[in-house]
Amino acid sequence: MITYIARRLLFLPVVLIGVTLMIFVAMSFLSPYQLVSTYIKSPEELKNQSLDDLVRKYGLDQPVHVRYVNWMRNLFRGDLGYSVSANMPVAEAIARRFPATVELALFAIVPVILGGIWLGTISAKHYNRPLDHLSRTFAIVGWSLPDFVFGLILLMVFYGVLGWFPPGRLSMWADSIVLTGDFTRYTGLNTVDALLNGRPDIFWDAVRHLIAPVMTLAYLWWAYLLRITRSSMLEVMNKDYVRTARAKGLTEQVVMGRHVRRNALIPVATVSGSMVLGLLGGVVIVETVFDYKGLGLLTATGAQQLDYTLVLGTTLFYGLLLVLINLVVDVLYAVIDPRVRLE
Amino acid sequence: MVMKKLLRNPLSMIGLLLLLGFILVAVFAPWIAPTSEMYANDPYRVPRYGWGNNPEPPSSEHPMGLTQGKYDIFYGVVWGTRTAFLVGLIVTGLSCIIGIVIGSTSAYIGGKFDEVVMRFVDVFMSFPFLIAAIVITTILGRGLDKVIIALVIFRWTGYARLIRGNVLQVKQEEYIMAAQAGGVSHRKILIRHVLPNTIFPVLIQASMNMGSIVVTASTLSFLGLGAPEGHADWGQMISFARNWILGTPDNPVAYWYTVVWPGLAIVLFVLSWNLIGDAFRDIMDPRIQG
Repeated sequence: MITYIARRLLFLPVVLIGVTLMIFVAMSFLSPYQLVSTYIKSPEELKNQSLDDLVRKYGLDQPVHVRYVNWMRNLFRGDLGYSVSANMPVAEAIARRFPATVELALFAIVPVILGGIWLGTISAKHYNRPLDHLSRTFAIVGWSLPDFVFGLILLMVFYGVLGWFPPGRLSMWADSIVLTGDFTRYTGLNTVDALLNGRPDIFWDAVRHLIAPVMTLAYLWWAYLLRITRSSMLEVMNKDYVRTARAKGLTEQVVMGRHVRRNALIPVATVSGSMVLGLLGGVVIVETVFDYKGLGLLTATGAQQLDYTLVLGTTLFYGLLLVLINLVVDVLYAVIDPRVRLE
Repeated sequence: MVMKKLLRNPLSMIGLLLLLGFILVAVFAPWIAPTSEMYANDPYRVPRYGWGNNPEPPSSEHPMGLTQGKYDIFYGVVWGTRTAFLVGLIVTGLSCIIGIVIGSTSAYIGGKFDEVVMRFVDVFMSFPFLIAAIVITTILGRGLDKVIIALVIFRWTGYARLIRGNVLQVKQEEYIMAAQAGGVSHRKILIRHVLPNTIFPVLIQASMNMGSIVVTASTLSFLGLGAPEGHADWGQMISFARNWILGTPDNPVAYWYTVVWPGLAIVLFVLSWNLIGDAFRDIMDPRIQG
């Protein structure tokens, strides 16, 4: 197990270089003058220096390999430039917005995974019977419903008509309490902080704002997980060892739970990597629809204003995040399927 | 054989009928929603009726109502069908060609070259597609052509990987070796002997991806990074609806038509491709034939 993790860790720098190179190539489509903003630390720098000075100062007139090394050095110091649209250094903007996205992701991931696997199991158990058709129809409609359309419909129904789940992260009254000195921000996650501060009313308010975005994210991915769980369950159900298990008189529940589902979950673990990719993209849309002030909305508003400094910075951050998440997924995968470790 | 099975399955039948409907709407757009004299040189421009910003409910003149900025929703939905097919076909076509050329060459040559190309593909595929598209449109600027470029850059990799696997298999076949022994040039072997036997699954996969490509393109338009304002595009039509979610005090869903019509168009479009694709997958997948 430890050698497996070590091997994965050794692979990490390779992926990182790949991701940074890709962003660097994208950046080379911009002129040195445009790139200056990705290097400066505050707008003050523009006041007493000309653009040419700044280009020279940050070595943007240097050959490509020198620029790449310089840029990487900046990255290691956490320097991502100054964002015009957020009006603060990119690194600071990311640090401020990141907890909100983490909170959304944490609340979304459990219902997504459990719900998807559950639906897939039901569908496979009732293969080609009404329940199978019903859950598949449910899933295929979900898979065809773009998240921004579904999100807007939820918003219209649950906010416009019923008034239950408003957009944003907190209601005005809760926001004003959170911003005062009495409320300690331990983690930046509103729900956790509210509980630590002993404010169940704020906790409930934060949850209320999370429900609709989570529903939007979940529906789409349920469809995806259902499809994969279903087909891999169907495949496993025809295996000899399942017949053996039935033949020796095990109850249907034990056969399904222990023999079929365990093995059928392996392909599900395999796709969880690509699911993470999709969720990161989905977060951008969902945060935009629900005006949920996280990293995704930051990227989207930055992009609308063509603030490439911010977009490149957040993308880089997504890249790093992704590499780390994939590492975790790989390790989990090895835990579920011992064969992977021995490869 | 496949076609017959598709026609027998009720779900894929619905999908085929829906798709046929969309094709008809796209082809006959100029007759369904005629362009007024004023915009004759640019039929993709959605006409505006009147001044002000408020949406207006459906009427006999504007069967689906007017959205924010008084853009005619019916016109936008009908001509948006053309935009959807246009984006879908161009992106699928270009990324398919690039993927097939790179993937098959890489597999046919093999060795170190193949290794390098595949690592390259891995890096491309390890990135969230939507975020990558956002980066590209931010750098290149706004516009449907940029959206197409962004989509092609990040879409060819899937096809490259798919055809590579197929070519690697076919490469070992005796008729290829026979051709090589007979002194046929590599280019000719690849085009005449390898591709005809490997290209079919890629083309199927590609056509099934039309739905998801159109969703991504309209998502970018929704985020304000795609089509310029006023261009007939479903994603943009929906983004107009964002400011009118709340309705009026006495009717909370007063502006339902701003989201429902363009939303329905895009959902049905994607649904039709997914229904066909799903039935196809079941037909082609021998493991679950039971």
